[in-house]
Amino acid sequence: MIHFDQVSKRYDGGHEALASVDLHIERGEMVFLTGHSGAGKSTLLKLIMRIEKPSSGQLRVNGQLLNRLGKGRVPFFRRDLGIVHQDHQLLMDQTVFDNVALPLVIAGEHPRDVTRRVRAALDKVGLLERENYRPIQLSGGEQQRVGIARAVVRKPALLLADEPTGNLDPALSRDIMALFSEFNRVGTTVLIASHDLGLIARLNYRVISLQEGRLLTTPFGGGRS
Amino acid sequence: MTAQRQQAMNRRRDEPAQGASAAWIRHHRDCAVAALMRLVRNPVSSALTWLVIAISLTLPTLFYLALASLEHQTERWQAGGQITLYLTDATSLEEGQTLTEELAQRPEVISTRYVAADEAWQSFSQSLTLDDDRLQLESNPLPASIVVVPDGQSSTDLEALQLLITSLPQVEDVQLDLAWIDRLNRFLELIATGVTGLAILLGVAVLLVVGNTIRLAIESRKEEIRIVKLLGATEAFIKRPFLYLGLWYGLLGGMAAWILVSGIAWWLHTPLSAFLDTYGLDAHVTWLDIGETFILLLSATLVSLTGTHIALWRHLREAEPR
Repeated sequence: MIHFDQVSKRYDGGHEALASVDLHIERGEMVFLTGHSGAGKSTLLKLIMRIEKPSSGQLRVNGQLLNRLGKGRVPFFRRDLGIVHQDHQLLMDQTVFDNVALPLVIAGEHPRDVTRRVRAALDKVGLLERENYRPIQLSGGEQQRVGIARAVVRKPALLLADEPTGNLDPALSRDIMALFSEFNRVGTTVLIASHDLGLIARLNYRVISLQEGRLLTTPFGGGRS
Repeated sequence: MTAQRQQAMNRRRDEPAQGASAAWIRHHRDCAVAALMRLVRNPVSSALTWLVIAISLTLPTLFYLALASLEHQTERWQAGGQITLYLTDATSLEEGQTLTEELAQRPEVISTRYVAADEAWQSFSQSLTLDDDRLQLESNPLPASIVVVPDGQSSTDLEALQLLITSLPQVEDVQLDLAWIDRLNRFLELIATGVTGLAILLGVAVLLVVGNTIRLAIESRKEEIRIVKLLGATEAFIKRPFLYLGLWYGLLGGMAAWILVSGIAWWLHTPLSAFLDTYGLDAHVTWLDIGETFILLLSATLVSLTGTHIALWRHLREAEPR
């Protein structure tokens, strides 16, 4: 699903955010990505979302070689990703329903299907009764669940999350992680960047660590060692 | 290839074909309505923009109308322009009439009319209102004349005609008042060039105003643009709401300009008629016909859309996801 082959990323000015990273995440895996801030977690996620391009090496995500993905194909590539942000990235002037519907509207789904699928996604995160609320009227944990509903509403093959529990208390964090596990159980590949090592330790998933742009753990899967 | 990937690729292949066109039309419709609602919900700030567009378009359109009215007027003047040939006393009535007929044969001449000396005297004395004893003259001092109405289309023809007439032995004097028509035509050409220049200048102003309005709209929705880009929105999808905003601004500005132009023309109609009447001129105020109205609305919309495109091209890349 995600294949990094000797991928490096240097920013203008010479800072090397990622150095010769080899990483392979198979379809259906759930993987945690850890590391101190500045270790390259964000850069790695940005490369996968095709916000940034590798300086060298080959990167293949969901069957697409991102090095060669034309600008015009990027939107269609991103439609197959589900992305959860630390700060939710919701549209504050629109309702919960409209926020979750956004990926479907962008993909040009029929309004009838949109309603059905938005309700299904909201039901899954337990916010069905809040569909007409504005994000501002919800708690931080609820907002994050809206973000998750939006990320999964199109049933993406790959779910990416950047510090999804960054602003939440431990109980809420466990709920959110349980949600991710649930999506993983039905076949979604999940990659979660998090520095909440205590929480990660309690879950039995593969963990990869970055330090100063380099991968510390083995590039291939097979559970935590 | 896994079944899942196959499914994803099928979905992608189908996208431009079935269902996609319906979705495309739906998004166009939604964007058009949403953009219009945006203007309606913020009447004051949006009015500032489309009023600037309206005023910028009103000025050259009014000049254009004035020019069209003047051109209509000069066409009539040219048709009415005439040359009067005063014949020598030695020329007999028959000679004068023959010459009149000869001149009428010439291609650059529309018509001629012989005015005998007696006839001239009659109409002259009739035109006098005072019954002056001093005008009781023994003999008629007025000469016979020929009034020639030339085809006023080309000034070279007129010059040739003038040359011929002055060389005729029977002609004592020529009263010719054509140079001013030529001058007026040149003047109108100059004004027309000026109006074109003004229209271009104000068109650029509209471009800048719309560009700035759209820039602010992009600025206020930067976060939203970043979010939808990450959710897989295409450039066209992101641009569409702004393009409809530009379209409505242009169309509203054009319609307001039409109302302003018509209002001002109607307002000026009466005093202008009175003024022209004192010069014995027909007050023909031209209105914008359907074709001209269409051109006004179309150019307003196109200029506005161009400004929107420039603003999008310049500012959309600032809203890349981080």
